[in-house]
Formats: sequence, C-alpha cells, structure tokens
Amino acid sequence: MSLQEALESGKFVVTAEIAPPKGTNTDEIKHLLDLYDGRVDAINATDNQSAVMRMSSLALSKIVLDHGHEAVVQMTCRDRNRLALQSDLLGAHALGIRNVVAMTGDHVIAGDHKQAKPVYDVESVQLLQMIRSLNEGRDMMGTPLKGPTGFYAGAVVTPEANPLEPQLIKFAKKVQAGAKYFQTQAIYDITMFNIFMSHARKMGAKVLAGIVVLKNERMAQYLNDNIAGIRVPAGMIAELAAAPSKAEKLETGIRMAARLIRQLKEERICDGIHIMAIGMEERVPEIMKQAGLLSD
Amino acid sequence: MIITKKRDMDAILDNIRNYRHVFLLGCSECATLCATGGAEQLEEMKTLLTAQGKEVTGMFVAKTGCQVLGTKVELRQHAEAINAADCILAMACGAGTQTAVELFEDKPVYTVNDTLFLGNMTRLQQFHERCSQCGECILDKTGGICPVTACPKGILVGPCGGCKDGKCEVSPDVPCAWVKIYERMKRIDQLQEFCNTILPPKDWSKNTKPRIRNAKETKESP
Ligand code: SF4
Ligand code: SF4
Repeated sequence: MSLQEALESGKFVVTAEIAPPKGTNTDEIKHLLDLYDGRVDAINATDNQSAVMRMSSLALSKIVLDHGHEAVVQMTCRDRNRLALQSDLLGAHALGIRNVVAMTGDHVIAGDHKQAKPVYDVESVQLLQMIRSLNEGRDMMGTPLKGPTGFYAGAVVTPEANPLEPQLIKFAKKVQAGAKYFQTQAIYDITMFNIFMSHARKMGAKVLAGIVVLKNERMAQYLNDNIAGIRVPAGMIAELAAAPSKAEKLETGIRMAARLIRQLKEERICDGIHIMAIGMEERVPEIMKQAGLLSD
Repeated sequence: MIITKKRDMDAILDNIRNYRHVFLLGCSECATLCATGGAEQLEEMKTLLTAQGKEVTGMFVAKTGCQVLGTKVELRQHAEAINAADCILAMACGAGTQTAVELFEDKPVYTVNDTLFLGNMTRLQQFHERCSQCGECILDKTGGICPVTACPKGILVGPCGGCKDGKCEVSPDVPCAWVKIYERMKRIDQLQEFCNTILPPKDWSKNTKPRIRNAKETKESP
C-alpha cells in the first residue's frame, strides 16, 4: 500500500526514519530494512540531516524501495539550487519514488562542513510549489515536461513552536502550496499537541506525530534547552530521573513513548506517527509492540 | 555604510615585505566611521610601519574613496609622495582599494581591511548588516525588514523550524528575522498580508555580477 493510500484509508500509519550511511557501506541499512519489514508503512531517508554530509537521501530511498518498502525521500533546500532540486525530483520519480518531504533544512553551521556555502535558493513552501508544478507536468518556469512527476508531497511542522502563530501561518502556507501530510517535531505533551491538532484538522492535512525516545533525563533536558519546538514536560523528566539505572531509564523512556503512541492512536488524535529512532532503531519493534501496534 | 575591519597586522606586513616606501590612503566616509581608515588610523599605521623600518612617503584621507574621479583629483597634490612610494596601502573598503588600483596602474596596492557588509551603525562603532544588495528589493512585502539579510538562510517564507523562542537557529543572540517580520506586520496592521503572501523565489538574474548602473540613462528617458 502506498503512503497516500495508507493515510487515506484511515489506518494509524507508522513511518520511520533512516539516516544514510557516512560512506558507501549499506550493511547496517539493510539490517534495519529487514528489521522494519512488515512493521512500518514507509521509511524516510534523511537528507544530510543536521547538515552532516552523508550518502544522498535519493540513493538511500532507492535502496529502501528495492528492499520492498514504501520510500519517502526527504529533500532540503540547503544544498541544491532550483535546477538541482527539480532534476533530482525528476530522477526520484523515474526511480520509482513517490513520496517526498519538503523541508528548508538545518543551516550548514550546525553540521560538519561549516565552511560550505548554504544555498536556500528556495525554501520549503516554494519547494512544495515546485513539486506541485512538476506533478502538473511543468517545470518552475512553466516549460512542459516529457512526463510529469506523481509525488505525494509532505512537509514538516513544529506543533510547539514559540512563538506559535507565525509557525501556524507557515503551516497553512505549506498546505496551500500542496503539502498533503505532515511529520511533526518530536512531541511529548498531549495537551499541547491537541491544541495544535484542533488547528491542523481544520486545514485538512494528515499529521504524523514525531516520536523520539528519551534515553534519560539528561537527554530530555538537552532537548528542552537546545532543540527548537521540543518541550518535554517536567513530569516525564522526573519519571526518567526516578529510574535507578541507565538500563531502567531507557526502559522508562521506551514505556513513555509507547504510552504516548497508544494514546494518540486510541483517542484518534492524529493520523499516525513518525519515529525518529536516532540510534535506537533496534528497539522500534519493541516500542510498537508496547504501544499495541504489533500483534506478535 | 560599508563596514570594514582591519586585518591582522602580520598579514599586512607580509604583503608589503618587499617594499620599503609606502603611501597610505584612507577614506573619510564609512572607513572613518568604522575606525579603519580615518586620519587617526592613518597616523597609527604610520607609527607602526615606521617602527618596522618602513618609510611612509605620505598619506591622505580621500573624501569618498569609492568616487574614482573625485579621488583622482584630490590625489593630484600628493603625486610626489605617491611617486616616491613602492606601494600603496589602502585603508578603505574593497571598493575604495580598487579606486587606487584603477588610478595607479603600475603600483602595487594592498588593502588593510576586510570588507564585511553593508550595514547600519546602531550605536557608536556597532554595526548591523541590513541589506545584501540583492538587486530587487522586497522590503515593501516584508514590513520593511529584509529577510534576505536578517535571516541566515535568506528564506522568503518563514519562520523555519529552527526558530527557538523567537531566536534564530544559527545563534541565540540573533532574533529570528521572520518572527520580527511577523511582529512588525502585525503591529502596522498588515497581518492579513503576512498570511496571504507567499513570495516567489528571488530572481537572482538581478544579481549577476559585476553589476553596472548608469543612472544618467534613466534620468534622460522620461
Ligand atoms: S530585499 Fe534586502 S537585500 Fe534586497 S535590496 Fe532590499 S534590503 Fe537589500
Ligand atoms: S530561525 Fe528565523 S532567521 Fe533563523 S534561519 Fe530560521 S527563519 Fe531564518
């Protein structure tokens, strides 16, 4: 089932994210793809995430696809101008990739090539417009294409951004520019997320809640202090701090993630989840099981 | 104004290591306000160079260093000192330096400064970049705040997801340009316009370098 079909069928969708390797060896990737077999609806390939240079998201998406998974290519505007973005989009379609998540992309200053020239010839909303235009069989300049693309376009949103209003306005612009579904920044606080969802529902776009497992209270505090739009409630931090050992803190984090997912699903708060495992991929099946998403 | 910053003295001395006689050329406009090319800085430079065994044959603060013809006329009275110099040290911006390059075809010219940006002086000798001379101004669409310059990504629809508590993802010391634009447009009663506008990607053909502008042409045509 395609991601679009899955989301439109009303099932609670699960997507996961895989970072391409820094190098050419894809053994680990193949292992993860095996691990996710039959368990997730689609797999995202990240695009030089945090501005750290890795294998291209396009190449990894093709590997994901060849492995039999539904692939989502993430595309940022940091490293490519409008020519390169369009030609990569045409290439992605030709390779069979049908889902693309458009994002502006972290600034190079955050990454491992700080001296690089950041591009940002377009940004996320304009990239979505570009995708729509290619889908309609024209390039950005209006020139007809020999064969249009057929992308299901997604985007990202930060439900707990501060200030929230300009972020919500940008969210609306993304919908207007053709985003059909959204992956959110990691969420922890259901009450806050509900406020965002009541707004998002009005816009008619599908929403996958971002899930990042907390390993311990230090990580939670780090996210709160350093990452835009992440707010781990004090109660969760206390719960992690109360766990006596490293292993038990992790189990607590996993339980909390599973609890959150279960509630999102049971109360039909959003349309699914997007798991950003960041090194915890091995535990994803376990989290899903605890959340009641897997029968085995 | 054009903001400049004096380079490392070692790099300056290394550039002129083969020359003993030096002429100093400053500028009374931006470089003076930036304290990189005013009369005081020329005096300081003279002292420094003398201590290094160099001989300063003369020095002059041009009225407007990027005004080629005016500077040419002004420098006439220094012809002798310039002739006696093996090289010219330009204490101006990159444009002012190239005025000297253009005027003195057979003399080496070195700049003393790094040219940083076009900005405003917000407090004494405190400068903020405000315009990137993109070639097609969009301030009329953004509440008068320039996202091409104030947003490190130069994005035209914002804010991006990196905005944290109103600050930019690039530095907690920098306010997010798009939050500022949002707040300003709200304050001047243009929130609806903020919501409704999706600016198109910029036309960078307006920025093809080197740009030449003949202001006379437009004046003559009605
Ligand atoms: S949009 Fe910004 S960079 Fe372009 S001309 Fe206007 S102020 Fe300068
Ligand atoms: S946080 Fe604001 S100013 Fe900084 S890059 Fe994002 S949109 Fe631009």
